[in-house]
Amino acid sequence: MTTTLAASTIAQLPPSTHEFADIIHRLESGGAMLPDTPENLMQIIGLYKAYAVPMDFYWRDLLYIAEHVFLNPLPFFKYFISQDYLDRPNHYAGETADLRVWRGRASAHPELLEFMAKGETRSKLPRLFHHLWHDRINMEFAEECMRSMLWHGRDMGMGQFDAYLDSEEYRQNADRAIKAYFKGNPAMLGLYKLFPEMFLEQVRQLSYYSNLGLFWEVMAPVFFEMSDLYDEGKIASVPDAMNFLVNGIFAIAGRPIYHHLYVGDECYEIVPKSKGFMWLYEAALPYVEAVFYRTSPFRGTKSYNAQAGQVPAQQKDFHYGVLYADKFPVGSAGIPPTLLAQDMLHFLPPYLVEYYQQHCRGEDDMLVQLAVSFQRSMYCVTSAVIQALRTALLYPLDDPNPEHLLANRKFFESQLDRFKRSESRIREIQSQEYR
Amino acid sequence: MLSALIWLPVLGAAVVSCLPASQSHQQIRAGAVWLTGGVLLWTIWLLTQFDIGNSGLQFREYLPWIETLGLNYELGADGLAIVMLALNSFLTWIALLSSSQTTERPRLFYSLILLISGGVAGAFLAQNLLLFFFFYELVLVPFYLLISIWGSDKKSYAATKFLIYTATSGILILAGFLGLVWLTKAADFSYQSVLGQTLPLGLQFILLALLIVGFGIKIPLVPFHTWLPDTYVAASTPVVILLGGVLAKLGTYGIFRFGLGLFPQAWAIASPYLATWAAISILYGAMAAIAQKDIKRMVAYSSIGHMGYILLGAAALTPLALVGAVSQMVAHGLILALLFHLVGVIETKVGSRELDVLNGLLNPIRGLPSVASLLILGAMASAGIPGLAGFIAEFLVFQGSYAVFPWQTLLAVIGTGLTAVYFVILLNRTCFGKLDNKIAYFPRVDWSDKTPALILAVLILFLGIQPVWLVRWTETTTTALVATMPDRAIVVRVNAPSASVL
Repeated sequence: MTTTLAASTIAQLPPSTHEFADIIHRLESGGAMLPDTPENLMQIIGLYKAYAVPMDFYWRDLLYIAEHVFLNPLPFFKYFISQDYLDRPNHYAGETADLRVWRGRASAHPELLEFMAKGETRSKLPRLFHHLWHDRINMEFAEECMRSMLWHGRDMGMGQFDAYLDSEEYRQNADRAIKAYFKGNPAMLGLYKLFPEMFLEQVRQLSYYSNLGLFWEVMAPVFFEMSDLYDEGKIASVPDAMNFLVNGIFAIAGRPIYHHLYVGDECYEIVPKSKGFMWLYEAALPYVEAVFYRTSPFRGTKSYNAQAGQVPAQQKDFHYGVLYADKFPVGSAGIPPTLLAQDMLHFLPPYLVEYYQQHCRGEDDMLVQLAVSFQRSMYCVTSAVIQALRTALLYPLDDPNPEHLLANRKFFESQLDRFKRSESRIREIQSQEYR
Repeated sequence: MLSALIWLPVLGAAVVSCLPASQSHQQIRAGAVWLTGGVLLWTIWLLTQFDIGNSGLQFREYLPWIETLGLNYELGADGLAIVMLALNSFLTWIALLSSSQTTERPRLFYSLILLISGGVAGAFLAQNLLLFFFFYELVLVPFYLLISIWGSDKKSYAATKFLIYTATSGILILAGFLGLVWLTKAADFSYQSVLGQTLPLGLQFILLALLIVGFGIKIPLVPFHTWLPDTYVAASTPVVILLGGVLAKLGTYGIFRFGLGLFPQAWAIASPYLATWAAISILYGAMAAIAQKDIKRMVAYSSIGHMGYILLGAAALTPLALVGAVSQMVAHGLILALLFHLVGVIETKVGSRELDVLNGLLNPIRGLPSVASLLILGAMASAGIPGLAGFIAEFLVFQGSYAVFPWQTLLAVIGTGLTAVYFVILLNRTCFGKLDNKIAYFPRVDWSDKTPALILAVLILFLGIQPVWLVRWTETTTTALVATMPDRAIVVRVNAPSASVL
C-alpha cells in the first residue's frame, strides 16, 4: 500500500521546491512527516501506549454520557462511569472482537482499573475524594475535543453526519428520545416545550459525544497493539508505525457511527446505524481536522485578544490544534491539554520515564517533555491520514506514470502548505533537541 | 567583643588562603560560610546585649597603637554602627551562600571576601579617624581583585574605574580628616578629641565638602556615579551584593558619622542644597534605570536612586527622617542583595540579562517560577509597596522630610513612582509573557539557589510587618544627633558666627 519508493519518484520528478521539500520527499518515499529515528519511534510508541490507557476510559465514558447520562440537568456524576461500561467489550480487542486489532482484553485496561481504584495518591479513598482532588482520569480533555468537533463540524464541509443533525428525521428521533428520557418529569418536559431548540442543541452535542466515543473505541486498541508490537520488535521504524495506522484506518473505515439512548431497557436510535455513517469519513477525518489542526484558543495556554485580531474571524483559519500548539506552557492553568498530559503521565512505559529523566529537568518537567513527544506522535498519526487520503484519492507511490507522481506531489505540497504558518511545530519536530 | 567582628574574618581569611590545595572547593566554601555564620551569630548576640536606650558608644575598646601619629585602636558602637554591623555580617553570610559552587581559585576568592567583611566591620566600629580611613581603604584592594579576577564583561575596565574613583574618594576623605585635625589642633585623630573643637564656618564648609564628595563617590551620588553601573555589572553575584549592600553603606555611614556628626552647623546650612541634590539623584537614578535593557544594570541604577533617599533623610534632620534614612540603609541593603542574587541566578540559568531576551520566567514547569516570584517580591519591596521593608524606610523619610523640604520630598515621591515604572517594565518583560521555546531549556533551580533569596525575602517581609525591629536600634542615637543640631531657623535668619563649635 505505502511501500518505499524513493528512488523511482525522485528519478522521475525534479526535486520539490517547496519550503518543506525534504519532508515531501520523505512522504513520497513512504515515510512520515516525523524523521525516522529510533528516538522518535520510542517516543511516539511510548506515548501511544500512555495515551491509549486514558483513552480507554475516554471512549467508555463518552458513550456512557451519550447513552445514559444524556440530558441529566445535574450531571455531577457523569465521570463516575458504571461498571457495565467498564466491562463493555471493545469491538476491536479481545476474544469477542468484530475485528481483533489488539490481542489484549476487551474490557477496561488493567492499568486503568488499578489507577481508578487508587489514583496517584495510591490510597483507597472514596471515589468522590479522588475526583475532587483531580486524582482521576480527566475527561475535560475528551469533552474539549468533542466540543471542537461539534463547533467546527458545521464549517468543515466533511461527511454527512453533521448535516444529518439538522434534518427533520434527526429532530423527530431526538424529540422521541427527550420525551422518553423525561417521562414522568413535568418540570423538564415543560422546559422542553418552552425551549425546544436548547434541548435539541444539547442532544446534538451528545451525538458528538457518541461520535468521538466510537472513534476512540477504535484508536485505543490500535495504540495498544502498536505498543505491544514495538515491545516485540515488530515495529522497528517510524514508517512501520505509520503504515500500521494506515492499514488500521482502511480496515476499520466502514465502522458505523451512531447515537443510541438507553432508557431502562428501551433503546432509542437518535442517529441510527442504518444511516450508514462511516467511521473514516464521519469521525476520523473530522476529528483530525477539528482537533489536530483547528481546535480553539484554549483558555490558559496563551492570552488571545480577539479584538486585536489575534483570533481569526473565520473558523477555518483556526490553527490551535496539537500540530501547532505551544507545548511549553503546559501545566499553566489546568487546561484540557495539561490534563491530558497529566493523564498520560500516569501510564508512561518505563523506558520513556527513564528517557525523560535524562533530559531537561527530568522529573520536574516531564509533563512538557511528554507533551512534546505527544506532538511528535500526532504528527505521525497525521502523516498516516495524509498517506491514507493519498491512497484513497490519488495514486500509489510506485506508480510508473510521472503525471500521477506529480499529482501525488501536488497533494503532499498542498497538505504541507498548512504547516507554513509560523506557529506550526513541523520545523521543531525535525530536530531531536526539541523536547 | 567588637574586635571579634574584625579579626575573626581576617584570621579566617588568613587560614583559608593558607589551606592546602587538596581542599575541595565545597570544603573551602563551607568553611567560609560557617565562619561568617559564626560572625553573624556573634553580631546577633551583641544586638541582644545592646542597650537601645543609650545613645552613646557601647562595647568600647581601646588599645594604644601609634600614639605619635594620633592613631589608636579605638572601637565602639552606637545605634548607627550596630545596625550597619548587623547588615555587614548578614550580607557577607548571604553573599557566601550565593557564591557559585564552582568558583575558580576558591581560596583566594573566599579569603578576599572575609577580608572585606573584617575591613568593613572595622570601618563601622572605628572611633579614630585614621583607623576608620585605614579600614575604609583596606577593602578597596580585595574588591579590586574580586572584580578584576572573577568579574564578567569588561572586568578589567570596571575594576580599574572602581579603583580610581574610590581611591579618589579616599584621598578626599583623608584630606578632610587631616585638615580637620590640623586646623582644630586636636590632640589626636580620636573622634571624641575632634568633637568640641572650634573652627570657622568657612573652613567647616570646605572640610564638609571634601567629606561629602569623598563619601558621595562611594555611595555614589550623581554625578559621581559613573563607576557604579560598570562595576556592578562586571562584578559576580556575591561581590555585587557586598558592593551594593555593604560598601555603599560605608559612604552613607561616613556622611552621617563625619559629615553630619562633626559639622552640624555647616550641615544645617547646606541641607537645602543636599536635599535638592538627593532629589536629583533619585530622579536621575530612576530615569536612567527605565532606559536600561540589561536587568543587572537596571538594578544598579535603581541603587543610585535609592541611595538618594538616605541623603534626603539626612538633609532633613528631623528625628523621623534620620531614623528613616538609617532604616533605608538597611532596607536598601537587603532588597538590593535580594535583587542582585536573583539577577545572578537568572543569568546563570538563562544565560542572559537582556530584557529583549528574557520572557515568561513565571512559567511553572520550564521557567524559573520561584526565582521570578521572589523577583516580584524584591521589586515590590524596592518600589515601596506597603508591608515590605522598603515601604517603611521610604515612608519615614518622606514623612520626616516633607515639613522641611516639601518640594524635594515631592520629587523624591515621584522618584518612587518611577521606581515602580521600571520594575513593572522589568517584571513584565522577564516574568510574564510567553516563554520562548527556542531558549527555554534552563537548568533546574536548586535549593542552594533559592535559599539566600528566601532568607532575604523573609527578613524583608518581617521588617515590613514589624518595623520596630528596623528602627528600635537607631532611634535613640538619631534623636540625640538631632538634639545636637543648631536651630535651622536661627541659622538662616542670623549670620553664622565666625567660629562655631563642632
